[in-house]
Amino acid sequence: MSAEAPETGPQDAGSGRKLSRRTFLITTAATGGALTIALLLPRMRGKSARPGKPAEVGPWLTIDADSNVLLRVPMHESGNGAMTLAALLMAEELRADWSKVRAEPIELNRDARENNLYAAIDGKLSTFSGRSTTPDTLRTLRQVGASARERLKAAAAREWDVPVTEVEARDSVLTHVPTGRTLRYGEIAAAAASVKLDREPEVDAHRDLELLQGRAPGKLVDAQIVNGTSVYGIDVQVPGMVYGALMQSPVHGGRLKRYDFEAIRNMPGVIGVAVVDPDEPRKRLKTPINDGESHEQSTIAVVAEHYWQARQALEALPVEWDDGAGARWKTTEEMNAAVLGRLDRPGDKVEKEDGDALGVVQRSDRVVEATYLTPFSEQAPLEPLNATARVTDDKVEVWHGGSIQAQSFLIAAEESGRSFEQIHLHQTMLGGNFGRRNFADDLRLVVAVAKKFPGRAIKIIWSREEMFRQGRYRWLTAGRLRAALGKDGLPQAFHSRLCRTGYGTAGISNIAWTNGAIPNVRLENSDLPLHVLWGSCRAPGYNSYAFMAESFIDECAVAARIDPLEYRRKLLAGYRDPGWLKCLNEVALRAGWGEPLPKGQGRGIAISNWGNWVSKDLIAGTTAAVVAHVDVSRAGELRVLQLDIAFDCGRVFNRDAVEAQMQGGMLFGLNMALNEELNIANGRVVEGNFDTYPIRRAADTPRLRVHFGGLSGRDRFSEVGEPPVGPVGPAVANAIYAAVGKRIRSMPFRKHDLSWS
Amino acid sequence: MLINLRVNGKEHAVDVDPSTPLLWVLRDYLGMTGTKFGCGIAMCGACTVHLNGAATRSCRIPIEAAANAEILTIEGLSADGSHPLQRAWLELNVPQCGYCQAGMLMAAAALLKEKPQPTDEDIDAYVTNLCRCGTYVRVRAAIHEAAKKSGTSA
Repeated sequence: MSAEAPETGPQDAGSGRKLSRRTFLITTAATGGALTIALLLPRMRGKSARPGKPAEVGPWLTIDADSNVLLRVPMHESGNGAMTLAALLMAEELRADWSKVRAEPIELNRDARENNLYAAIDGKLSTFSGRSTTPDTLRTLRQVGASARERLKAAAAREWDVPVTEVEARDSVLTHVPTGRTLRYGEIAAAAASVKLDREPEVDAHRDLELLQGRAPGKLVDAQIVNGTSVYGIDVQVPGMVYGALMQSPVHGGRLKRYDFEAIRNMPGVIGVAVVDPDEPRKRLKTPINDGESHEQSTIAVVAEHYWQARQALEALPVEWDDGAGARWKTTEEMNAAVLGRLDRPGDKVEKEDGDALGVVQRSDRVVEATYLTPFSEQAPLEPLNATARVTDDKVEVWHGGSIQAQSFLIAAEESGRSFEQIHLHQTMLGGNFGRRNFADDLRLVVAVAKKFPGRAIKIIWSREEMFRQGRYRWLTAGRLRAALGKDGLPQAFHSRLCRTGYGTAGISNIAWTNGAIPNVRLENSDLPLHVLWGSCRAPGYNSYAFMAESFIDECAVAARIDPLEYRRKLLAGYRDPGWLKCLNEVALRAGWGEPLPKGQGRGIAISNWGNWVSKDLIAGTTAAVVAHVDVSRAGELRVLQLDIAFDCGRVFNRDAVEAQMQGGMLFGLNMALNEELNIANGRVVEGNFDTYPIRRAADTPRLRVHFGGLSGRDRFSEVGEPPVGPVGPAVANAIYAAVGKRIRSMPFRKHDLSWS
Repeated sequence: MLINLRVNGKEHAVDVDPSTPLLWVLRDYLGMTGTKFGCGIAMCGACTVHLNGAATRSCRIPIEAAANAEILTIEGLSADGSHPLQRAWLELNVPQCGYCQAGMLMAAAALLKEKPQPTDEDIDAYVTNLCRCGTYVRVRAAIHEAAKKSGTSA
């Protein structure tokens, strides 16, 4: 176990945050300073494999006698294909027969019991979560596959007594090339488990996947999805399980005042009630998501034999709440006025100051100014929040479809107060995430309730109304943007002032316009903390900020009387990341920009980036450019006919999976822009279900066209789920302006009068 | 109250409050969790099953109204995942998170029985299920694909 491995891989090993690097660090500690890769495959258990029992070739994978490979991966399936891609990456290096590969999430309890076998379970976001293409994760996954492959080859060579260089691995078969002898992986796996290598194989983690060969394998879970056997959190069944329904303070931050259990005690199936008190002292750990989004709310839960009984009893339960400070917000308009009013004064913070934007604006006689507003919106994954928990003297078992395993694990540990070794997290599939399942706020409440019924497995399912009204929303943001146009019509200065009830500014702060394309830039921010809870929503705040920035640049182009595409091209002429211009040109070409349209129709364009801040030069992340083609009837009915997208995430492994994310991301951004808004009345969220919070259906789906010609080919595989969401809203708003001359400056667009004559 | 049900060709007797929605009887009493809960107000379609052959949102059907009816759920759409729609779904990699897809498949299956060669407009009118991941384009394509395969094999 002392074999040396290269200290740095083919890509940025500098970050200590990610899985492999952290594993390396642990290894360093475990071996007294000798850096080895062997801990990726520790504790080879050659002798332990009994006939018929799958041989564990290190903790990451097992191979059974029939060569079925089970891979353990640090991420699970939430719809973006990350788990399948992780398995593909491992199987690629393993040279495994893909048709015999299965995958399951790493078991964190084992990680805790076995000295952080895989990685420490701590507050780091990226270790056990939903992406498979971060550089260190890529490298780890491929290294695991390659290291296992070399052990299989070495075992076969030993068996045949031939040099290992004469052994080839392919499709889960080892071949002695000179003689043609073969061994299936399953026949040699147990022996491979005891192999010690002098050095671990080198891996080029960024090589294309040969396994794909132009094919587009579906997700490993797809067959179960279409026959109804896939298990989401809500589907978990535990023997003896009972059910719960719950209600949290309708005004966030309020407190339960009184309730009357006697009124429901004799209803069918009722077992009891449990109160969750947010003021009770709790263990606090560093968790990946720790901005308060997972914090407990004042809650009452009814537990019954069956779910419908619990729902009925909860509805019948007399409950009174002390609403707390949030109730002073009588209407949405009051809140909007508060964030908009804050724009009249300088921001609390200056996020960025390049040159003298204020001075240039003050001296200019060509100032463009516009104010924008985006409301609270809900991620609304289709699976309602839920979790299952059983708390006993020596064990806390939880079943949860969270999007970050470490978060679920740590929240269960926090709420139960137990040691890591006692926490058993059974990771399930997620019925959608979009940021909502990041927090494990649901799991926390379920553990809190289960603690009061020791020994009983309790599954609690949120009603859709409860979920809508107890969200972690895309927050309310107001923004005022100003620009001073030069003689050529291009902005000489860009000045933004945001007031938000959440955080972040990606979509304004990381874009080309504010990072070199415009010489003078000043970005100001103010925070207005409200009682309304907030969180990530298919990229935190990005869709709001991109809407503001890209609508505004369009307004500048209009003021300068320059075509909006041409205007952006001019601005991007010398920009350091040529991927922006490439995306813009690709999408414009494909969408037929400039081709004549009938009256009432228009095209709009927008471009943004999500993720480029990981690199100092901002040549990173994924840039996405969208052209929207809309039709507005005289009566003002808006139809989005077509959305084209071109993007640059560097490179792609699985084109089909990337296309799916682009399609879905565009529709998510479209719904957000056109439909989504939560209102507040007396501090409470008004909308509770899809009847008042419309989601577009198949009939409302425009032509969606995904173009790959924007790819720069740079050596990165950046995220593809969030980036398409940002530019859709502004592209549609800009298209509406092109069609009928009406400028949309707030979401949702459905509330605007678009009629024309 | 003891209620007799016929689900996927099999008889069940369930002791349940007659106002309990069919959805929760399927899920909690019969352990058939392929049919999903999404909204509870018959808006999203995740709970779609066939009731005497018609696509029906089971979250608002009291179990007493389903007694003695012929109920078909995703678990019974085919014995081995070989329904043309299931095959087309896999071929075109339709699912993302997959949560709405059982309801989509059940709605589409009822559509194909009624209109074996549906147009886009037929699909839009009939498959009104919500998908938050945005799989609609592929759902449409897969229904056409299944219709094509069924048409040529018939």
